[in-house]
Amino acid sequence: MRKLIYTATVAVSAFVLIQSCSKSGSGNNPGNGGGNSTGFDRKGMLNNMSNNVIIPAYTAYQTATTNLDAAITAFTTAPDAAKLTAAQAALKTAYLQWQSTSEFEFGPAGDANLSSGVDTYPTNVGQINTNISSNTYNPDLLANLSAKGLPAIDYLLFGIGADNNTILTQYTTDAAAANRKTLLGKLSAELKANAAKILTAWNGTYKSTFLNATGTDVGSSAGQMVNQLVYDYEFLKNDEIGIPAGTQSMGTVFPEKVQAYYSKISLQLLLAHLQGVLDVYTGKDGLGFDDYVASTTAKYTDGTPLNDAILKQFATAKAKLQTLTDPLSDNIKTNPTAVTAAYAELQKLTVMLKTDMPSALGILITFGDTDGD
Amino acid sequence: MKKTFTVLSMLSAVLILASSCKDDKKSNPAPNYTVPTTYNFTNADFSDATTRLGMVTEMSNLMKTALTGPLDGQTLKNMFSNTSSPFTGAAAAYNTSGLQLKDQTATLFQTDASNFIDSLVKVSKTGTPASRGVAGVGASSASPASKYALTATGVNYAQVFNKAIMGGLITYQIVNNYMTAGISSSVDNTNVVAGKGTAMEHNWDLAFGYWGVPVDFPTNKTGAKLWGSYSTQVDSGFKANKTLIDAFLKGRAAISNKDNATRDAQATIILQTFEKLTAAAALQEVKEVKESISDNIARNSRLSECYGFVYSLKYNPKRKISDAEIDKILGLFPKNFYDLTLDQLNAIRDEIAGQYGFESVKDIL
Repeated sequence: MRKLIYTATVAVSAFVLIQSCSKSGSGNNPGNGGGNSTGFDRKGMLNNMSNNVIIPAYTAYQTATTNLDAAITAFTTAPDAAKLTAAQAALKTAYLQWQSTSEFEFGPAGDANLSSGVDTYPTNVGQINTNISSNTYNPDLLANLSAKGLPAIDYLLFGIGADNNTILTQYTTDAAAANRKTLLGKLSAELKANAAKILTAWNGTYKSTFLNATGTDVGSSAGQMVNQLVYDYEFLKNDEIGIPAGTQSMGTVFPEKVQAYYSKISLQLLLAHLQGVLDVYTGKDGLGFDDYVASTTAKYTDGTPLNDAILKQFATAKAKLQTLTDPLSDNIKTNPTAVTAAYAELQKLTVMLKTDMPSALGILITFGDTDGD
Repeated sequence: MKKTFTVLSMLSAVLILASSCKDDKKSNPAPNYTVPTTYNFTNADFSDATTRLGMVTEMSNLMKTALTGPLDGQTLKNMFSNTSSPFTGAAAAYNTSGLQLKDQTATLFQTDASNFIDSLVKVSKTGTPASRGVAGVGASSASPASKYALTATGVNYAQVFNKAIMGGLITYQIVNNYMTAGISSSVDNTNVVAGKGTAMEHNWDLAFGYWGVPVDFPTNKTGAKLWGSYSTQVDSGFKANKTLIDAFLKGRAAISNKDNATRDAQATIILQTFEKLTAAAALQEVKEVKESISDNIARNSRLSECYGFVYSLKYNPKRKISDAEIDKILGLFPKNFYDLTLDQLNAIRDEIAGQYGFESVKDIL
């Protein structure tokens, strides 16, 4: 489900080729010019992004997955109701943190395909059960991507019984209890290890790589950030609400395809994700894409400055989402008009982020439709 | 690591360019003829190539029936050799065209094609849903309307065939025939046949026709198919569109103006570009595999496309890559496609990229 794109490396050679045969003094290298912006401090923005947005996100996610793994280890070592509740709470915390961590699928996360390992849903219950009954789990198999990560743990902690008492028996008296505990432990350990790996890379050499790719070409940090931000935002819009609400199936709804279907925190996650995307856009309190867009003369179709229009649309979409309630899977069935209205506002923001912003910044969106076969 | 690639690729591009700029000045004095900007040459006729590409499309379309029931393998083979009037409907005219695919393909491909078809027919007859160890038809988990016929090891032979024939027919004809023997000194370039030009012009035109693009490509991309489609798909990282259209236009103008040196130079460019394009297309499929990485059925089908492209290099008699190297890349594919790991996929990508100098663009092709 989770599609990934790869903008990890660079197409500079093409630009260099075009540039180097042209007359000297033609200037306006797309790698340095940056659309119609004049003198925006891109390096400063990257600095702020890495120090105040990206690394804090990975740090918090690493902490959350460490806590989740500890809670699950405690639970599987001696399962009881309190430890189950604690593990469930730890999963929710990790899932919420993931929503402001998924935006950076380039560099170390891109290399490791982090997102598809963390958040592929709907989770494949059949594959999970096969892995339990066979007591084998190979984390390297791509076939297991839909049977691991937060959605699989969501199922194993919330979805295997009508209430916590029943769920608890799956880890105590059930015939497969031992195997189930083993798998659950492996899944949380894998999440923790992968989170630590990405954080280590960012705290190590990758940060300077990121800071030094100051252009706006395909492999630049700004180029990668925008591409991944838009990609991740489309994931929010499509997978977290659109597809379950039937926007891609002529109205046939798929409530079971929401994120965190079993723990029923889908809307909470959606709002956290929208905030995460907004934080990347604004760079929180420091230099962000908002400042970058504002440094250009770009206008929205209604004539207002593009940055103002984007910020306004974030607020509008958020307000619409706040009219919904969890479980979103029920809301999709009982309140489809409001769900569709929220989706429509998210869709407007897509156009701004995917078309207007990159165009204002001279950044190329490199992911797109596949060849269709 | 990446930064190193970037810097290296920039440097190498600059170096290559610096030298090629010089070459342009030295060896290419201003031509005394005009190279047009579209392939609207007088007497250009590549309808035979277009017909053959149409036959390929008919075969691909028939293969889709493997998704809904037993596939008629005999008709497919008849289409390949154009025997027993296999084409129907709007394509019925192909039956009497006097043209066929089989006698234009590499010998190895003729054997392979038959095997690919047989394998697909076998899958189509199982009537079971595809899963690991079970041949049958499976649906993409992301978009269930997309279905694929996969063997028990996850191979989609419809796609292997579709990609292999791009090498076994199109690339084979271009590199082994039209860009070599087709423009040799023994080929007539004096007598103009009305509507077809000289024999040499006609050969060049057929090669252009096999590329599968409109005459005003890439400004107009309507109807671009097979290599014409892939040269566009990989264009973000490998500028095959411009390279090829420039070379085809320049070479054709050169033939009409008896400028053999320019003609040969363009033929070399075209010949080499088609091999690189094959590698770029394989990398493009790696990217698509990653885009459907958690979608077991769709992922296997895309991996089959990648496999088909790599395998098709074997049909190119002018290839730079060695047989051992092709086999090495093919050996990186898992025995069962359902068992693919990210490391294996990246190893396939890196090996192809390394062979063809695509390191810096391997993820964006």
